[in-house]
Amino acid sequence: MNDVTDMKNYYSLLISDWEKAIAQLLEDYSIYAPIENSDSIDYEFIDTEHIPEIIYNIPKPTTPLKTFFLPVKENLTSQGKLNSKRIIIGTPNCDIQGLGILDEIYLDKDYIDHAYKTKRDKTILISSSCFETQEHCHCMIYGINPYAKTIADISLSRVDQKVHLEVLSDKGEYFIQQLKDKTAISNSPESEIKDIELKQSKIENQIIADNPGLPDYKKTGKIVEKASDEIWKKYSSTCVSCGACATICPTCTCFLLVDKPNFEKVRQLDACQYPGFERVAGGEDALGALPRRFQNRYFCKYVWKPQKFKSLACTGCGRCIEACIGKINKNELFREVAN
Amino acid sequence: MSETKNIYKPIRAKLLEVITESPTIKTFVMEPEEAFSFKTGEFIELTVDGIGEAPFTPSSSPLETKQIEVTVMKTGYVTEYLHNMKAGETLGIRGPFGRGYPVERFYDKEVLILGGGCGFAPIRSLLYNLAAISDKLKKVTLCYGAKTPDECIYRPYVDQLRNTPKFEVHRTVDDPDETWTENVGVATVLLDKININIKDSIAVCCGPPIMMKFGTQKLLEMGYPDHDIYLSMEKNMSCGLGKCGHCMMGKYFVCKEGPVFTYDEIKDQPDIWS
Repeated sequence: MNDVTDMKNYYSLLISDWEKAIAQLLEDYSIYAPIENSDSIDYEFIDTEHIPEIIYNIPKPTTPLKTFFLPVKENLTSQGKLNSKRIIIGTPNCDIQGLGILDEIYLDKDYIDHAYKTKRDKTILISSSCFETQEHCHCMIYGINPYAKTIADISLSRVDQKVHLEVLSDKGEYFIQQLKDKTAISNSPESEIKDIELKQSKIENQIIADNPGLPDYKKTGKIVEKASDEIWKKYSSTCVSCGACATICPTCTCFLLVDKPNFEKVRQLDACQYPGFERVAGGEDALGALPRRFQNRYFCKYVWKPQKFKSLACTGCGRCIEACIGKINKNELFREVAN
Repeated sequence: MSETKNIYKPIRAKLLEVITESPTIKTFVMEPEEAFSFKTGEFIELTVDGIGEAPFTPSSSPLETKQIEVTVMKTGYVTEYLHNMKAGETLGIRGPFGRGYPVERFYDKEVLILGGGCGFAPIRSLLYNLAAISDKLKKVTLCYGAKTPDECIYRPYVDQLRNTPKFEVHRTVDDPDETWTENVGVATVLLDKININIKDSIAVCCGPPIMMKFGTQKLLEMGYPDHDIYLSMEKNMSCGLGKCGHCMMGKYFVCKEGPVFTYDEIKDQPDIWS
């Protein structure tokens, strides 16, 4: 029965038709997708000539998805124009799942963050399955698949000259309706779905094989609690408090409110890795010492947030390892303490 | 799409009066331009326009809805500006935020309150509340410590409290002068001098971190169970909404789940005294 339902939700079209449809959608939407630049692959604002350059089914772009919803800087009080409707194409599932905890925090029914909600409501998320991996990818170890089944609206897989679209939400269904108005689209044949699933499972196995002995998310909390002061000192010894790990993290969301005249508030992304993050006016600063500050991020992600939220606070994207100029690899810490 | 309330936008409040309580502490009496009320122990974010925002627990009675008072020690950037403000100027208020004192749990009990320095501010609000429901309480004992006699705030209110049935006030200073006739030493020394039936009481503690730490230790030694010690915690509460992350104390956002916690709730969390 499941197969039938799945097939109903799987659509496909030729890449040429998909690209024409995207060009038409540009009339109503701002579209962002990964494009290869001189030395990186990152989201770009897509205009007509960029459409053929969009890269599908690759692991994470440089910038985490969160920056579309929590910009580095944002005025929260000026009643400016509402953000336009957006489509974000090509987000891998590690980033998609990273939105889970952001949703829990910013859409918390006690205090709904209007700026975040507006952006969330107006964005169609077209995730794409990873058909490749990168050196530090370890999503599978934390229980996240390299393809989306939740949170995103559509899961896209490009195979040869075809684009397959799996519908994951009502918004995704609405997107398909819009596509149908613009181009020929049909249900994906079962054999082609099987091909996609095969590619997906190949990547799953590869990620597991690439990370032998890496403790899973059920164990990381205990490991962090067990780690000695010496471990924190050792691993933080090359940390320069630049905050790159937090900036690039799809789930780190801490921010600062900056005051502007006329009672305006500007949100600026912040990080517990910066000195003074917890300092109060009286001078007390629980995170004053570097090893303590360094340790805080691990406790936050692997001990405290899991006690508080359903979504994972680390999705195994590996960006923090790539971004660290001190060459700190959190996975080495987990392996060392686990043994 | 329905309009979502902007949780970051302060309401304006006119500064009606500035009362000098001590050389470093002032009370700001404000009149919010929109309806505003709070429960005792909850806090507000106070904005000095264009300068910054800081968290304060109101020091006025929660039963007074037209005006609201905060008592502020000059300690940092925002409070420095605040201390230079004059009646007639406008401030911004967001809130109220967090969880205050569960006053209904104090019914039929003796309430022991240990306060230090500017920690008297939230306590005064609590005392106003307790005075209004004193028929439901057995007794209220306030033990208050300050550095010097000059730093003892709310002097007229202390006199008034001393004349209120069921209320008892003990004060101490670290560094007395020739006019001081009350106790000498840190706030916790007062706990040796009071007469209280611990089994039938709860304790409230609010003050600088060092006093909170030793005060809690002393209350535990006296026999108070962990769940009967109420602590008003101080962290770098910024958004007040459980989002910005600055006030995380282990698994808690102090701004949302606090600032009032029982010792039982927080004793296993890190850095509770700093």
